[in-house]
Formats: sequence, C-alpha cells, structure tokens
Amino acid sequence: MPMKIGDRSFDKRVEKGLSDTHMRETVRGAQGRLHTNKAKAEEELGNWEDWRTLSEEIRAHTLENLDYYLEQLSENVVKNGGHVYFAETPEEANAYVEEIAAKKEAKKIIKSKSMVTEEISMNEALEKQGCEVIESDLGEYILQIDDHDPPSHIVAPALHKNKEQIRETFERLKGYDKSADPSELTQFAREQLREEFLEADIGITGVNFAVAESGSISLVTNEGNARLATTIPKTQISVMGMERIVPTWEELDVMVNMLCRSAVGQKLTSYITGLTGPREEGDLDGPEEFHLVIVDNGRSNILGTAFQSALHCIRCAACINVCPVYRHVGGHSYGSIYPGPIGAVLSPLLEGYEDHKELPYASSLCAACTDACPVKIPLHEHLIEHRKIIAEEEKKTSLGETYAMKGFGIAASSPGLFNMATKTAPLMFSPFSKEGTINKGPGPLGGWTDVRSFPAPEKERFRDWFKNRKKEDS
Amino acid sequence: MAQGTVQNKDSFLNNIAEKLGRERRTTGVERPDYQKQPQWEVMADYSTDQLVEVLKKQCVEIHTDVKETSVEDLPKVLDEAIKEYGAEKASIWDDPRFSSFGLSSFAARPDVSVWGDAPEEKDIRISEQADVGITFADYTLAESGTVVLMNGGGKGQSVSLLPTYYIALIPLSTIVPRMSQVTRKIHEDAEAGERVPSCINFISGPSNSADIELNLVVGVHGPVRACYILIDDR
Amino acid sequence: MKVSLFITCLGDVFYPDVGKDVVEILERYGCEIDFPEKQTCCGQPAYNSGYHTDTKKAAKHMIQTFDHAEYVVAPSGSCAAMLKEYPHLFKEEPEWKERAEALADKTYELTQFLYRVLGVKDTGAFLPKKATYHTSCHMTRLLGEKEAPYKLLENVEGLELKELPNKQDCCGFGGTFAVKMTPISEQMVDEKVEHVEETEAEVLIGADSGCLMNIGGRIDRKDRPVEVMHIAQVLNSKKT
Repeated sequence: MPMKIGDRSFDKRVEKGLSDTHMRETVRGAQGRLHTNKAKAEEELGNWEDWRTLSEEIRAHTLENLDYYLEQLSENVVKNGGHVYFAETPEEANAYVEEIAAKKEAKKIIKSKSMVTEEISMNEALEKQGCEVIESDLGEYILQIDDHDPPSHIVAPALHKNKEQIRETFERLKGYDKSADPSELTQFAREQLREEFLEADIGITGVNFAVAESGSISLVTNEGNARLATTIPKTQISVMGMERIVPTWEELDVMVNMLCRSAVGQKLTSYITGLTGPREEGDLDGPEEFHLVIVDNGRSNILGTAFQSALHCIRCAACINVCPVYRHVGGHSYGSIYPGPIGAVLSPLLEGYEDHKELPYASSLCAACTDACPVKIPLHEHLIEHRKIIAEEEKKTSLGETYAMKGFGIAASSPGLFNMATKTAPLMFSPFSKEGTINKGPGPLGGWTDVRSFPAPEKERFRDWFKNRKKEDS
Repeated sequence: MAQGTVQNKDSFLNNIAEKLGRERRTTGVERPDYQKQPQWEVMADYSTDQLVEVLKKQCVEIHTDVKETSVEDLPKVLDEAIKEYGAEKASIWDDPRFSSFGLSSFAARPDVSVWGDAPEEKDIRISEQADVGITFADYTLAESGTVVLMNGGGKGQSVSLLPTYYIALIPLSTIVPRMSQVTRKIHEDAEAGERVPSCINFISGPSNSADIELNLVVGVHGPVRACYILIDDR
Repeated sequence: MKVSLFITCLGDVFYPDVGKDVVEILERYGCEIDFPEKQTCCGQPAYNSGYHTDTKKAAKHMIQTFDHAEYVVAPSGSCAAMLKEYPHLFKEEPEWKERAEALADKTYELTQFLYRVLGVKDTGAFLPKKATYHTSCHMTRLLGEKEAPYKLLENVEGLELKELPNKQDCCGFGGTFAVKMTPISEQMVDEKVEHVEETEAEVLIGADSGCLMNIGGRIDRKDRPVEVMHIAQVLNSKKT
C-alpha cells in the first residue's frame, strides 16, 4: 500500500471517523492508558528534559552529517559480508528485493513490522511476483488477514479495531472459536504464525536504528516476531528510511531508551536486537545472507529546508498518542499511513500538497505534540510553516481568506482603521444578536455558531471605558 | 566469509550532500561533546546489592519470575524452576559456564539438548520443540530488568526465543545499572576494530504485545513466561 | 512601577469587564497603568493561518506601539505568547528582530506577572464557589506557565478548586480551527464540557478569553448551569 490510503476526500474521511464509535472508544481508552504510562516513564528518569536535549542533539548532528554516517554504515556492512543497496525511489527498492526473491526462488516471505515497506508498497510488489508475504506483527497480521485494512497508527497499526471486531475477523477468516480476550486472541496468532516462520525462505524487517560504526541494525520489539524473522530464514532483508541511523552504540542506547519510553511507557521493550551482518562461521542460526536497503523516497528533499528536523523523527507515535484531533477522527482520516501530527507534517513533504493539503489545518495548534516529542521536533511550528507555504507560495487557500488576511494586516497596522472596526462591531453584529448572544452568525462565524453561541460585542469597549475613567480622574 | 557488495552509493550520498548545501563529507566528522549526558547519572553509585533490589522490583513490572540462589544450590533451584513451568525438554547453550557453575550433570541429561550437538544442523527444530530454553546472561541491566546475550557459535539465538519458556541464569557479577554501560563496551570494542557479534539480544522478560487496544498481553511469538535465576557468585 | 496593558481584541470588544478587573488588581499593587491607544491585534489569526507577510505588518505596528513600555501585561496566555513569537518572524530583518526580542523579554501574561514579577500569592479575593480551572494550551506549552494561576487561585477565600480531568487537552478553539474544522472542534469542546461537568463545578475559570468563549459558548448552547469566569474576575472578586 502506498503512503496515501483510500480515495475519499478529507471531509468524508473525517465524517466516517467521527461516526465510528468503536474506533473512538478504543482510541480514547488507549490514549488515556498511554498518557499515564508515558508520564510514569518520564518521571522515573527525573530529568526528562535533559534526555530530550541530548536526543535532539544526537539527531541533529546525525542528520547534518548524514552522508558521512551512511557511508560509514555501508562500508561496515560490506566488511561484515553483507550487501547494501541505496534506493532513491520505491521502484528501485522493490526491484532489488524482487531480484533477491527471484534468485532465492522464495515462496514464503515472513515480515516484521516496517513502515517504510508500507510506504513503498513492497508487499504488493512481491505478491505480484508470486511470493506469499506474511506479516507477523500482531497488529499488522490482523490488518493483513482483514483484506489489507490500512494501518491507523504507526506503533499499534490496528488501533482502530476493538477486541470484539478482531475476534470476529479471526472467526470469519481463520476459524477461531474462542473469546475476545486479548490473551486468547494473541495465543491464536502465535500458533498460526509459528509454522510460517519455520518455513519462510526470506525474512524482511524494518530498521529502528542502524549503527554506523559497526554496520549494525537494531530492532525494537515486544512480540519477538522480528527476532524470529532474523533467526530462522536463510536470507534477511532489512529496509530502512535513510535517516534512521545513529553514529555509535552509545547514541543507540539513548535513542532506544527514548523510543521505548515514549512509544509504550516501557523502560525497554522485551527485545532490543542488534544485528551485525550475516551469521559468522560456526553460527547455526541467523541469516546466511544479509541485505540492507536504504531508502530515500523524497526524504532528501526535506534536507536543508525549514522542515529538516522532521527527519529527526524516531517513529515513537508520542505525538499521535497525545493528539486530541487524532483521538476524535482516528488514523484513517489522515489519508496516509503516517497519521497524527507527524503524519500531517511528513505526508505533504513526501507526497506533495495536492493529496494532503488539508492535513496542516487538522490541528488546533495546541502544541501537545511538540511537548510530547522525545527529540523535540517543533511539530506545531512545522504545521504553521506548511500553512505559510500553502497560503503564500502555493496560493492554495481561498481568495476570500487571502483578502480577509490582507485586510487584517492592514487594519492591525493602522490604529485608526482598527479602532473604527472594533467601534462599529456592536452595530455590525446587532442584527444577529439577542440578549448579548449571537446564535446564528454571518460568514465564517456560521461555523462557530453552528455549535456554540458567540458573545455580542459590548457597547462600551475597554478602551472607551479606560479613556472616560482617566478623564473622570483628572 | 561471503564478499559484501554496495550499489548506488555515490549518487545517493552526493545528492544528500547537495541538499544539505555543502560538499560531500567523507572524513573529519567528530561526534559532539554532548551538553547533557544524563545516562551516566542513573544509579551511578549503586552497590551490587542495591542494583539487585532494583532488578527484582523491575521484574515485577515485566512479569518475570525471580529466584535467588548460591552457586552451590544452583542445580536444585534450576530444577525447581523447570518443574514449576511443567517443562520437560530443555534447550541450552553450549557455554563453559554450565560446567563452571556446577551444571555439567544437568547438561548431560537426556532431556537436555545442547546447542550445536544436533545432527545435520537440526538445532533450530530441536530448540523449537523444547519446553524451556536456558542461557546465561552476559550482562544484566538493573534498571530495565534486562539480560544481554552476546550470541554466536554455541550461544545460539534460538535458545532464548523458540521454546515456550525461558530461564536466564544471572551471575550477580554481570549486573550493571543500565544499557549505557554495555553499549559503551560494545562501542569501545567496535572502535578498536573488533567485529561486533552478529546478534546481540537485550531481553526484558517474556514476549508481549499491546497491539489489541494498547492492552498489554504477555506471551506472543517468543517465550510466554520467563524466569531469572540470580546467582550470588561473589 | 509602570505597566503597559495589552488588552487583546477579545478583551477590548467582547470582555471589557475583564480589563476593568485587571486594572483594579494591578493598581492595588501600586502599578501605574498605561494603555497605549494605538494597540491593535497581536496578529495571531494571520500567523497561524500562514499569512506571515500580513502578520509582520501587525507585528511591526505592535512593536512600535509598545517600544516605550517597561512591562507589557496581557490577560491572555495565547496573545502574550504571540508577542513572544515575533522574533521568529524577523529572521531576515536583524533590526526588527532585535526590537522584537526586546518586546518579548518584557511581555507577561497577567497571572505570570502577578506571581513572578510582583511576587503576589494572595490577591485577597473572596469567591465561595466550587470551581474548576482550564489550563489553556498556549499558556502552559508556549509560554510555559503552569504554576502561577494555581498559586493565585489557591488563596482565593472560599474557592473550592476541583481538578479538571484531562486538563492538558485542548478545548478545540484553535482560532480559525474552530470555524475551519467545525465538526472536529465540536467533538473536542464537547469532551471538555463533559469533563467540566464531571467536576460538578459551578464556575469554570480560565486565563484565555478565546478558550472561554469557546467552552462558554458551548455550555450556553447546551444550556448547562456552569458560569464562566476569566481568572482576573475571580482574583478581583470581593465580599459584597
């Protein structure tokens, strides 16, 4: 599936999201739990702000020297006997992976969770070639068997489904006959997938962070599926967005720590796995062949722009988990595999404004995202920056809004005009007001008064009162 | 060892340098002297006993059973742990510590398979059929309740992954405050030109998932229960 | 001490009574109130909509208007935060950037000024009611002021303050967001009203008129028995 999901318009997607009571209840509950867990994980450290400062510094330094560290990474992978493929486009990345699959005559491919492979539609490409591609992350597995339902969250992709819906999916498609208890559902998935792992020819994973100094990749998981995918199959292919790299194992420590605490409120997830090249002589498990595919797909266009820090993202979803807009509309409303605040920032950057022009406005700019971000990406400022480009460079806003803002600029810089406008406000609004309240406002105020009352302007402004008071005093 | 390859590197990296608005950097990049380094303050002055207390407390959080023993009583305590899980077949590392910690006769039992002993490399299948996997910890992180396994050779990564249960044997001498101490060691080795082991696992308890409504469920693709046996080897 | 009051658009036109309370409180602590009549709007509506060229016009005007001021105080966390945002607008105009920084440095939200500059903890107010306080996003996150309003409200005689559940969540105002994304904004404000009602408060207190206009407007539309008060009104409530 490409980054963009579905064909509905933004308004239709939001309408669907808002009317999905199951999804909204599930998301609300999940956000509540995560809020508590993350707060606890931050408090335990006692100096969370110092950790954020360090993390930001690490990410900024790495991105500033990205060419240097990627070169170091690739040299070390090769030294360890692995293969590196730099792919500028999805087509290049997929063609390379298809070629390996063909060479290995692979029938069955087991995958652990990877957003970048979703982004470049790798599964579809491999399936076209006749490979069976099986997602092994529990959330991804649920979505895959349910007719490739798109993910709605970057850490918990099936967050829009409640346990009853999942039970029903398992029953309908896999003959499941037990309860909707998450433990029983999970046990069922374990049994279903274990044999698949043992039979798979190739394991495909994402990469949480590559480590330049040793040519290693790290995988951060709880379920153990990424370990299975890199322990049993003879061939391993790991696919990474080009920015997912740290200089050394010391930075890896910091970033993994921040990822685990921010994503799920754990100190460390059950498994942090560091993999360095294919198996060594004398090893009896792990892949015999290791391929690392490093993907650009539009990321380099973000370098050197005001949005560069968006590439600092470590995909923890902390911004999504605190976003009040996400809570109500759900992940699918964003129309991209990257939802929430980071999605609203990234999707237009990676795929252009045409399909994603509403996203920067799908925020009240409350800045909860910026506050939650473990690497201090100023997410709400990036959203404003997008709006600036849409308004001033792309000129994609309505003519009415453009003139209104021009008028605003003129009035707000001319006290005489401003004074006149506020002075005549009560008169202008008088046809709409009743007992100090406006219930059906004109123009853009209509959206407001559809759901809220609006106060009628007072007859005596503050400035008039102040002036008169001063006069009385003297 | 197979010969590694790299493709499309230069055009890809030249483009990055161009977008960053400068010449390509191939040398001379130093890691900054980071302003804040809070990771070194965590439990910096803790004694082993204090670290053990932190570890034990954390094990409750991560749904991991804990047993404490002397070296002398280890065989008995290990046997108990296996029985409590109702396990019969065990898969263990080929690790000299099994004999130095008095577990030679345990390792020789018919229901215990030692990694690498299977004919025709059937070790993965045997490990998969085992009820319990048993390894020593190479390092142990108090803060997160984590055992660190430097896999390779006789230390197969399957042993801690494929069996239904997992038991980690933790000599107290392996305990450090947190991940930072171990990653620094790996960093120093890498800097000295040593090849990093092909698989390093940081394992914190049994496998779990929060993919259903972000509710934690213990026991997914990896072991469904885990037990740490703390061995006082001081 | 001379204090230049930035009353804000909403404060000038819709809530003049709040401004009167602000003046009374500040005067009680010996401040001489200066009201530069040329003041207009901080420019936030244009800024948040991406019209930064138009915002700059407003910003330059405001910088000039308050050039003489010793302190600038506004009864709104959001508008005060916007004045502090000005230096970012003038990255390429060093002269204006410097002036913007000077304005940013002397700008305070009302409770922040009372608590941090004047050192006030107790304004001597009396309000025997059950209330809850809405922590507005820009006040807490952009201005970083999480303490001052609580410290002052704690000492209001008779006031029983109930913690608002999910207080960190936005009320759904967001300026133009409320009219551009009305269906989403509606859900957000409804959730906020639900939480206010859970506290069984008689009064909802806030330090930002924008949020109060939003939540209050929804409360009014739903005809709920909750009174909405700006924190200046609470801090200036007296025994009658």
